[in-house]
Amino acid sequence: MKAVAKTVLALIVIIVIIVAVGGAYWYITSQGGGGGATTTTSPAKKIKVAILFDVGGRGDLSFNDMAYLGAEKASKDFGVEIKYLTPKSTSDMIPLLEQLSQSKEYSLLVLVGFLWTDALNKTADKYPDQKFALIDSTTGVVRDNEVDILFREQECAALIGVIASGMAYELGGDTVGAVAGMSIPPLWKFHIGYLFGVKYFEMKTNKTVNFLWQYTGTFGDTQKGYQTANQMLQQGAKVLYGLAGLTHLGMFDAVIDWNEKGYGSALAIGQDASQEWYNPKYIPISGAKRVDVAVYTAIKMVVEGTWKGGIHTLGLKEGGVGYWDLDGVRYFAEIAYNNSKTKLTPDEIVNIVKQQREKYIKPYVWDIVHELEQKIKSGQLVFKTPLSEDEYNSIIQQLQQGNLNAALEKGSV
Amino acid sequence: MSNVESLPRRILQSIIGFVRGWIESVRVKKRDYLVAAVELILAGLTGFLVAGIVLLVMGYDPIWIYSVLFRYGYSSPGYLGARSAALMMTGLAFSIPILAGVFNIGGESQLYLGALTGLVIAYYTGNIWLGLIAGFIGGAAWGLLIAALRVYRGINEVITAIMLNWTAYYLIIYIILKYLPNPTQSHLSIQIPENMMLSYSSTFWLAVLGAVIAYILLYYTDLGYKMRIAGLSPRTAVYAGFNPRKAILFSMLLGGGLAGYGGALHIIGVASAFDTTMSTVFGLGFAGIGVGLLGRNHPIGIIFASVFYAGLIIGGQFVELYTGAPPYLSDTIIGIIVIALAIPYAYRMMINYITLLRGGGK
Repeated sequence: MKAVAKTVLALIVIIVIIVAVGGAYWYITSQGGGGGATTTTSPAKKIKVAILFDVGGRGDLSFNDMAYLGAEKASKDFGVEIKYLTPKSTSDMIPLLEQLSQSKEYSLLVLVGFLWTDALNKTADKYPDQKFALIDSTTGVVRDNEVDILFREQECAALIGVIASGMAYELGGDTVGAVAGMSIPPLWKFHIGYLFGVKYFEMKTNKTVNFLWQYTGTFGDTQKGYQTANQMLQQGAKVLYGLAGLTHLGMFDAVIDWNEKGYGSALAIGQDASQEWYNPKYIPISGAKRVDVAVYTAIKMVVEGTWKGGIHTLGLKEGGVGYWDLDGVRYFAEIAYNNSKTKLTPDEIVNIVKQQREKYIKPYVWDIVHELEQKIKSGQLVFKTPLSEDEYNSIIQQLQQGNLNAALEKGSV
Repeated sequence: MSNVESLPRRILQSIIGFVRGWIESVRVKKRDYLVAAVELILAGLTGFLVAGIVLLVMGYDPIWIYSVLFRYGYSSPGYLGARSAALMMTGLAFSIPILAGVFNIGGESQLYLGALTGLVIAYYTGNIWLGLIAGFIGGAAWGLLIAALRVYRGINEVITAIMLNWTAYYLIIYIILKYLPNPTQSHLSIQIPENMMLSYSSTFWLAVLGAVIAYILLYYTDLGYKMRIAGLSPRTAVYAGFNPRKAILFSMLLGGGLAGYGGALHIIGVASAFDTTMSTVFGLGFAGIGVGLLGRNHPIGIIFASVFYAGLIIGGQFVELYTGAPPYLSDTIIGIIVIALAIPYAYRMMINYITLLRGGGK
């Protein structure tokens, strides 16, 4: 009993300390004019935007770092004030959205990544005056205060399909492959685009290209990525496209080992962020899904007053997808270098990538790429977005038979 | 029959007895409390000081960061209460077995299992109460497995628990991807409908109820008494004629069950579904160890400790928003504060444990 009482008293003391310390600081800060609070009420009334990252936050060298890049650019261009927040877990998302919406401090809350979808769907209606932008996902509901920004992945995958085919021929083979995550709608779009690009290359050059595509069923298993990639390399694949998040880091390793152990020569292609830094010698190019452009676009809509609720898609025309240029490669190489993820300096990485691109992507391939790019940008070609698995399967089947127009909503080749 | 009737009365009497005893002991042991208070204040100050130095070295203003941490961490009572529910239960999942002499670091996986069974039962029966009970059973079964291996096969519970934590982690991912996918959102499991969810405040009070029941079980029942004796000295327990093995089994059953109940509460009251990255539940069990130590392994202490800890977690998120400090910085600060506050108690616990082992050896 005495031990019990002692504990209870000890706890009371803890609480007293907490209250005292908390109260004291509260007092101090509120007395001190509230620091940041006064600056925000300055006559110009600066627009404030909060970027809410995915769980895990910055340093992922992918979505979150790209979101940061886009927000910083917006802050520089428009003079908006940007704040960042990383939720501790998905269970914190709803209360955070509620607390931030209630505070009315932010003109816009940008939610990075699909994990926010459910939380947003449950809170958006309660705060009609709060604007939300959801990146790379959609709640499926159109609201005036919510913008969902999606990407037209087919457009970037099509360009990569052409580049991969060209690289396979430079390596003395004729097979390209892709290690994919789960069979879900965004991956269907990648599949259609990639296969379209390969077939487009065949059509333009009269060369034949073998196409391999494998779902691993996971976005988080590097081991599985390694095994799947190895099988494809044994089947003669020369270029592998990684479309499986963490899983395709295993694919990178398989390709690196394949070269270093002297089994043959092969190259890998990354996706979303620039992943060349992982091994610039064997990963000469990455497809881009520009989360930074999406974040920038959302902020721009608020600043310029062009806000319109609903789904917005970004493609080649808007610069939302594509392939990474050397500036992009340098940006991610710098982050990787500063986080000790690579020993190569950003300069070295950029130089190696430049050399490898010159060596493996020949001018005739670039010509095809630029031509296709032009057609897509001008709106001459528009890709289909399959709404069901059956539609997706039938598009893939027809593409394989050489009917390129099956993948197109508008235009023909 | 008279037994059944007198149960509420017995509980009432116990409460009165406890309050009276407490007032009595405060009067008698004034000095001890003073020492405890001084110890805590010193520990707390040391924690804040060390963390403050870390902040200064990294170029941030400690006062500004602390003020944000405490102002926003404890300003939203609903969120705070709901967030502390699972931590409170995993705190107990660590502390109850400790009292019986078992190190349970499997609160993490027991919480997963409870969250899973709770989700499945609540979803398919449409009854959240059945879900909460199922959560308790799921966690208890997982805890009992660890205890049974220890008692009947002599396998160290720490090793089993660490391994089973990861077994459960991957098992849950497999199950939610394979059998419980959400038809509308591919990154989620099946989901408790919004109108069925518990409110934040009832989530918190249901957790408090669990802690109070654990407290009564531990300190006002025969079984609880035997468990605590077995924990203090297994030999004494044998000498007094009861089986310390039973105490171990029961403490793990109760601890695991409460962790599972916490998991079910977390799903039914806060999260509504698992996500495929497991961030919904990951870490709640490990944090429970800190909560247990902070609460001095006492159920009532753990209630306060869990609220304190949850507030730090919530406030930590706002530190990034308002000061621009990276999120791992607030994790570091929280870690230092919690360790500093827990050290004096953990130290004494270890000394007791070691002297006990030595005494047993002679």
